[in-house]
Amino acid sequence: MKTIRIAHLYPDRMSIYGDYGNIVALTKRMAWRGINSEVVMVSEGQKIPKDIELIFIGGGQDKGQVIVAKDLKQKGSQIKDLVEGGTPLLSVCGGYQLLGEYFISSEYGELEGIGLFNVITRGTRTRMIGNIVVQSELFGELVGFENHSGATEFVGRAHPLGKVKKGYGNNPTEKHEGALYKNAIGTYMHGSFLPKNPLVADWLIQRALSKDGEVVGLKDLDDSIELMARKSSISRPQ
Amino acid sequence: MLAITVGKAAIKINRLTGSGGSSFPGLIAKKIDPDILQRLVHNNFPRGIVVVTGTNGKTTTSSMIASALEKADIDFVHNKTGSNMERGLISTLLEKTSVEGKFKADMGLFEVDEAYMPAVCRIIKPNWIVVTNLFRDQLDRYGELDRIAKSFRDLFDDLPQTQLVLNADDPLVASLGYELESEIKPVYFGVEDYIGPKLTSDHTADSVFDPFTQEKLYFTQQYFAHIGKYRGKSGGFSRPKPDFRANSVKQVGIKSMSFKINSQKNALKLAVPGLFNVYNALAAYSLVSVATTVQSDQLAEVLSGYSAAFGRSETIDLEGRSILMLLIKNPTGLNQIIQTYLLREKSNLLVFAINDNFADGRDVSWLWDAALEDIKAYKGKIIVGGERAADMALRLKYAGIEDVLIEDDMEKLVEAIKANSSKRSQVFLLPTYTAMLDLRSKLTAKDKAAKEYWQ
Repeated sequence: MKTIRIAHLYPDRMSIYGDYGNIVALTKRMAWRGINSEVVMVSEGQKIPKDIELIFIGGGQDKGQVIVAKDLKQKGSQIKDLVEGGTPLLSVCGGYQLLGEYFISSEYGELEGIGLFNVITRGTRTRMIGNIVVQSELFGELVGFENHSGATEFVGRAHPLGKVKKGYGNNPTEKHEGALYKNAIGTYMHGSFLPKNPLVADWLIQRALSKDGEVVGLKDLDDSIELMARKSSISRPQ
Repeated sequence: MLAITVGKAAIKINRLTGSGGSSFPGLIAKKIDPDILQRLVHNNFPRGIVVVTGTNGKTTTSSMIASALEKADIDFVHNKTGSNMERGLISTLLEKTSVEGKFKADMGLFEVDEAYMPAVCRIIKPNWIVVTNLFRDQLDRYGELDRIAKSFRDLFDDLPQTQLVLNADDPLVASLGYELESEIKPVYFGVEDYIGPKLTSDHTADSVFDPFTQEKLYFTQQYFAHIGKYRGKSGGFSRPKPDFRANSVKQVGIKSMSFKINSQKNALKLAVPGLFNVYNALAAYSLVSVATTVQSDQLAEVLSGYSAAFGRSETIDLEGRSILMLLIKNPTGLNQIIQTYLLREKSNLLVFAINDNFADGRDVSWLWDAALEDIKAYKGKIIVGGERAADMALRLKYAGIEDVLIEDDMEKLVEAIKANSSKRSQVFLLPTYTAMLDLRSKLTAKDKAAKEYWQ
């Protein structure tokens, strides 16, 4: 079987709140099924390899986002082409914001995004912090922790990842969380998002394996500890 | 005056009821008199005020400083129960103030939470500010690291009379001394060379870029996280030459460290382990050297005799078992504990107790940034407890450690510790803050714990 290559974008600038856990979840859940994987770190000035099966970009601080936004101008069209071609992608928090149309940072002004998701984000004075539970059509109940002051909204038709049951999500009023476009996910649920939402991890892996048209099924894993962690997370106050 | 009377009464009531909330009297006093802190501090410390801040090591550093001040017979006030926000400070000061508002002490020594530090320091105008390090810590409470650094920089510009004591090996902290408007040159401390265990899966480096240009820094030594010796582009920001340097730093067993300061002939023996404690000792040494007339040999003696501060690391006897309790609150701190205690550990019981209350940090995702992969070689039993026990178990599972006992109830956790360790064995207990308070009272006789808390 071929090796699944994961492009981890800007690991040293956009890695915060346990983003590393998402990469661990992907690689471990592949390893447990005998699937080889390799993580390719791609920093600013470096090229995303052509033969990539999965893309991940994490969260960062506003300052790091300024540099990343500038660098994404070079990588934007390649990322969009890959996603159009079916490559799965996960973007979290700051990374998600920069894959939208634009992000107006309270400190650094307007940062242009790559326009993969039809969302815009504005920095606000409210920090949206806490445990979050989301109902998604595709994945059922999703759990996580959010921590952002950017308020995100859709331009035109909304394609959220899910509806907020507890917490803020994209912004304090609409009860939308994240964005979904083809096999690309944007979300504010950070840190241990994939470990605690193994269905999403497996969906990304399955899409990566099936990229060339042949649908590949995945062996079931024992997710009992994942289920316990989800339960305790859901039971905690916002 | 009313604020003082009521505040002092609140301290008494607190003690009588044994409720132990050390910041409550301060909260009440501030409600009555919003300027109470300024009034309690003003002109009351003829030999100056020291503030210790930073992400890790505040309590240890300030209690090391306190030991030195005691040794030198300097009369000082110190908020030593880890109550480090404004109201905790007020409570501490109320204790020293008579009902008539009279006050006596030569120096003030305050450990201040980094988020509250700028506001508190604008009021108390310290003579010295020690910054130990800056790491991602409980970002849900504090906001981002860059924002903290910026709030520090803005503060320092407003305090031209304050001398800074800074960690040269933490790029973000060191950069705080650059382009300073202060009239007094900052003092730097740093480690020149370290031989000892290092982690293989450290993901905690936060500040590996030049804070001014955002270009990547080149590290010639990276001891842990982003702490080490580094340089930037020529002419730009680089590691400042430390005024106080630790040489030949070595770990001796799991109980102590040995190092030399400024290449002195005799090695200093520190009775607490871990490279991070060398940094704490260096910070304390630097501060005491610039702020007092305590001699270096006297200081070395104090540091050799130092024993750990409240809860940060203490040994509790549980029916013959020696329980080493080590507070964890962020990935860097946990990594240092792994580096110091667990890399060569084979067989003893290891217990994590993870809560997610406000004082712990509500977000437990930091567990994913800690180098838990490094304890894969660990062969002993592992128990996880606390409200987020399952999150810890999940983290360990993905680190390749699956044989873990989960016990989220604290009473049962204590029973599980007894059941899974033999008498006279060593147990490593790693709790978050509120889990530590809870377990501490369950593990120790209640009167003994209370006595130490009120010291």
